[in-house]
Amino acid sequence: MTVLTSIGKAASPGPRQLAGRRRPVRETVFLIALQFSLVIAIAFLAVLLAYVISKGWARLDPRLWENMPSIRRPENAGAQSAIVGTIYLMGLTALFVIPTGVLAAIYLEEYADRDKWYNRLLELNIQNLAGIPSIVYGILGLGIIARVIGLGFGLITGALTLALLVLPVVIISAREAIRAVPPSIREGSLALGATQWQTIYRQVLPSSIPGIATGSILALSRAIGEAAPLVMLGAATFVAFNPESLTDGFTALPLQIYNWIGQSRPEFGVLASSAIVVLLALLLVMNSVAILLRNRYQKRW
Amino acid sequence: MSEIGTSIPNVTVRGPEVPRNIQALDPVFNVSGLSVFYGDYAAVRGVDMVIGNREITAMIGPSGCGKSTVLRCFNRMNDLIPGARAAGKITYHGEDLYGDHVDPIEVRRRIGMVFQKPNPFPKSIYDNIAYGPRVNGRKKGMDGIVEEALTKAALWDEVKDKLKQNALSLSGGQQQRLCIARAIAVRPEVILMDEPCSALDPIATTKIEDLMQELSRDYTIVIVTHNMQQAARVSDRTAFFTAEVDDSGVRHGRLVEYDETSRIFTNPSDKRTEDYITGRFG
Repeated sequence: MTVLTSIGKAASPGPRQLAGRRRPVRETVFLIALQFSLVIAIAFLAVLLAYVISKGWARLDPRLWENMPSIRRPENAGAQSAIVGTIYLMGLTALFVIPTGVLAAIYLEEYADRDKWYNRLLELNIQNLAGIPSIVYGILGLGIIARVIGLGFGLITGALTLALLVLPVVIISAREAIRAVPPSIREGSLALGATQWQTIYRQVLPSSIPGIATGSILALSRAIGEAAPLVMLGAATFVAFNPESLTDGFTALPLQIYNWIGQSRPEFGVLASSAIVVLLALLLVMNSVAILLRNRYQKRW
Repeated sequence: MSEIGTSIPNVTVRGPEVPRNIQALDPVFNVSGLSVFYGDYAAVRGVDMVIGNREITAMIGPSGCGKSTVLRCFNRMNDLIPGARAAGKITYHGEDLYGDHVDPIEVRRRIGMVFQKPNPFPKSIYDNIAYGPRVNGRKKGMDGIVEEALTKAALWDEVKDKLKQNALSLSGGQQQRLCIARAIAVRPEVILMDEPCSALDPIATTKIEDLMQELSRDYTIVIVTHNMQQAARVSDRTAFFTAEVDDSGVRHGRLVEYDETSRIFTNPSDKRTEDYITGRFG
């Protein structure tokens, strides 16, 4: 102690030796730049939300989901066929994409030998597929699913196309969830005489389900807003009935919005805004479920 | 015992208090000329050893000497590492462990393993124990199996009232005993332990060591340990491995000496063993 105090006294003029220098200008500028970028992202979303809600508020009532669209009478027009179409479309897409994506992810994570060139090629291509523009998937759906396979231009073709579109995203997120299960769990299971499939089915999958569910929902919420591939598939923008079978014609919210925006009468603009609010609400619900799943069931090892 | 005390202080060798005739070696594993490769790299070369029935065999040596690699050959866990390959011969009761007809799943049902870090499944205590029997097709009598395994692993009294609780809520030492119980529940003949105490505190370590002594009445135990005192305390035979650098500068593991534990720790025949156990090396 004595040594310390004597050195302190010799080196410093008073008790303020720990005050430090002021924060340099460069650091302050950097911090402001960070915050500004954040503000841009949030502010645009907030402005958009405020705009569509204020514009669409007048028509955010039961008519929107109780009535069918109408070209002649905007005061009675609704978007029931589009809302139902979107929900069916999402359900079918989920049905196609989740099992396929999870099985592909299991193969890549648990079985594929990464030293083999074809597995590396496969991995690289899945990354690439995730970046292909959705309109290209629309062409694929039109050319292969609708024409060559001959499923026509109904709900099932739309769902299959959207499933292909988000499949890479589902695979990538499912792989991450599977990879997050520690290898020690697999070893523990195998050391007890479990087969590889038993290990995957009873240990790896149950532990990665929250992650897989979260990733899949986020992937679907990308699909819900897609219009381009559906336009390519010739999904009608004006459909005044709900789809009743897999091959029925259908419309979806983004298409209905596109249709209304293009109308000349201002009432349809209001309708478009209220439909946008519905679409965003569906999206927010899906994302909330994803976040809830993640927070609630996330495993900590 | 006094001569042991003088040659290596602070080490008590498992001695007359556990009377057994370890001269009569009844071989379970017979290892001859075993080399293990990862790709082209030979991690361990030329291992010969015989592991006796209902004995505790310890494998000691510095890091990177290949003792864990050898251990993982006994239940073919090395198969899981891409590019890993074993040359030479290991027999289990005379049957070639790496023979073409051998199913590694069947091997692992007979030869259980406990790992360095306790790795209970994120399930209830009950389900952790029942997992092994279940994947092996057992459906009935699970309560009895669970109780028996937990009792043998000296954990029953601590957990009998909370079998439905998540196993991850147990302490580290309890988790490791749970992993031992989980291995026992499959009714193996051999239990391999890969540094089972290295993540545990001294009290938990003592409990596991006592447990090993207890279990060696019914099971053959092979343990890899960094802790020489532990090898001296629990094992009947000790294998000392070391890492050597050959002429081309490649490091690989070798078995230096394998003998009764009391001899390894009092009168080793190899200079390297003596240097290691007296702390002059490693």
